[in-house]
Amino acid sequence: MSAIKIENLRLRYGELEVLKRIDLEIPENVCYAIMGPSGCGKSTLLKVLNRLVEMNHNVKISGDVKLFGNSIFRMDLTRLRREVGMVFQIPNPFPHMSIYDNVAYAVKCNGIAKKKNEVDEIVEWALKKAAVFDDVKERLKTKASQLSGGQMQRLCIARALALKPRVLLMDEPTANLDPISAGKIEELIMELKKEYTVVIVTHSPGQAARVSDFVAFLYMGNVIEFGKTEEVFENPKNELTEKYVTGRIG
Amino acid sequence: MLRILKDYLFVVFVIASAAAAIIPLFHILFSVFYNGIPVLAKYGMEFLTDTLPPPNKAGGGIFPAIYGSLTMILLSSLLGIPLAVFAGVFIAEYPNNPLSRAARVVLMIMLEFPTILVGLFVMAIVVIPMGTFSAIAGAMALTIVMLPYVATYTEQAIRSVPRHYKEAGYALGLKKFRVVFSITLKMAKKGFMTGLLIGVAKVSGETAPLIFTAGNVWRSTGALNEPAGAIPLWIYYLVQQPYANYHEIAWGAAVVLLTIFLAIFLPGRLMVRS
Repeated sequence: MSAIKIENLRLRYGELEVLKRIDLEIPENVCYAIMGPSGCGKSTLLKVLNRLVEMNHNVKISGDVKLFGNSIFRMDLTRLRREVGMVFQIPNPFPHMSIYDNVAYAVKCNGIAKKKNEVDEIVEWALKKAAVFDDVKERLKTKASQLSGGQMQRLCIARALALKPRVLLMDEPTANLDPISAGKIEELIMELKKEYTVVIVTHSPGQAARVSDFVAFLYMGNVIEFGKTEEVFENPKNELTEKYVTGRIG
Repeated sequence: MLRILKDYLFVVFVIASAAAAIIPLFHILFSVFYNGIPVLAKYGMEFLTDTLPPPNKAGGGIFPAIYGSLTMILLSSLLGIPLAVFAGVFIAEYPNNPLSRAARVVLMIMLEFPTILVGLFVMAIVVIPMGTFSAIAGAMALTIVMLPYVATYTEQAIRSVPRHYKEAGYALGLKKFRVVFSITLKMAKKGFMTGLLIGVAKVSGETAPLIFTAGNVWRSTGALNEPAGAIPLWIYYLVQQPYANYHEIAWGAAVVLLTIFLAIFLPGRLMVRS
């Protein structure tokens, strides 16, 4: 069974059609990249998958998205968002909370663990999983705003992982990071995709080629081409895809 | 040469204008403290704990006014702050809701609304049915005066938090009230607290809305459903009396009022700066 199946998905903001009849299947435990130039609708598509897009005013969605066979539109929102974690373009740990609380807060609110030692275990596990534990273990009680950009982004990954999701959405997670921090996040993605289905949005074909197993190329709200990353990059069937992966549009 | 002269004149003009704007404020502060502090020194602690003396008799104090003011400030804060915070949250979180849009306009109007009319309104709906002026009626009038300040600051504070933090909260499966109260409002603590303090400071000095509601008394039983004194009301009435000691007491009361106002307002301003 595929982790996510997008069927005939259309999305409009008022009169503006942002996504036009999207059909995609995302297999389990792979890294699936959605790439395309700015404004092509890739972040919007990602935010459909955890229904965050519905925060916007005047949004109309038709079609369906199935998460392990169940329609996300008929699912309880809290349950959906526990199963589908998200990491944002701007590293956004809650600056008023400690490093520990950033990870623990949603764990406690969602009732995943109540006792302190259980929460402690989950926090440590998540921080280790996100490869940031060694950086922060001595200062778990300090404010998250003290961390570097790369550490903040890994903390955000830990925060998402702590809810034990099955899918991890990443919206250009390295766009605001320096090359070294970005490299570390990419290494982490390679590790995470062994256990999670990672859907990453990127405007960089290079990043899509490095981290993903499958890729979809989105252009002006349409999926132009999708398939195994190697095939799409080495043998693109569509002229637009070829222009994009070779850097002639973007 | 002419350009340098123009530039120089401009600077002089700006400084002079700023001074002209600030001097009256300092003059008020100076004259209140200059005339009031000797009164406090002369009357001693009794000024804060005693009641109004008979005309032209030494001693006495303004306790009923302090008690009335503090009671009504506290009551109006208890009533007004939760209401205003929820109103601010509603307007910020549901900006496209017709009720929210209407509420925003109403609050903007209320910010500049003549407060004497607030007093008249509360008189009509509380004082007349109750058949008496009361601390409750005064507190209700102050609540209405406070509401738009706290609500508007709360709304602006929430709006000042970048959207992606809210998105992060929702993406973690958090419910709306947790995102608003545990993330957004805590992140916007400074703006929110400033509004709160400015709202409370504002009502601490209000006179007009109390004239038709609290009523004013020189001696009070302390009951909330009976007429109450208030420092600004006392100042207003005392200076109209033909007795020298009442004028003295009015100056002393002005110092107490200003101190209460500054004690609430200054921490608010300092918080914004920090």
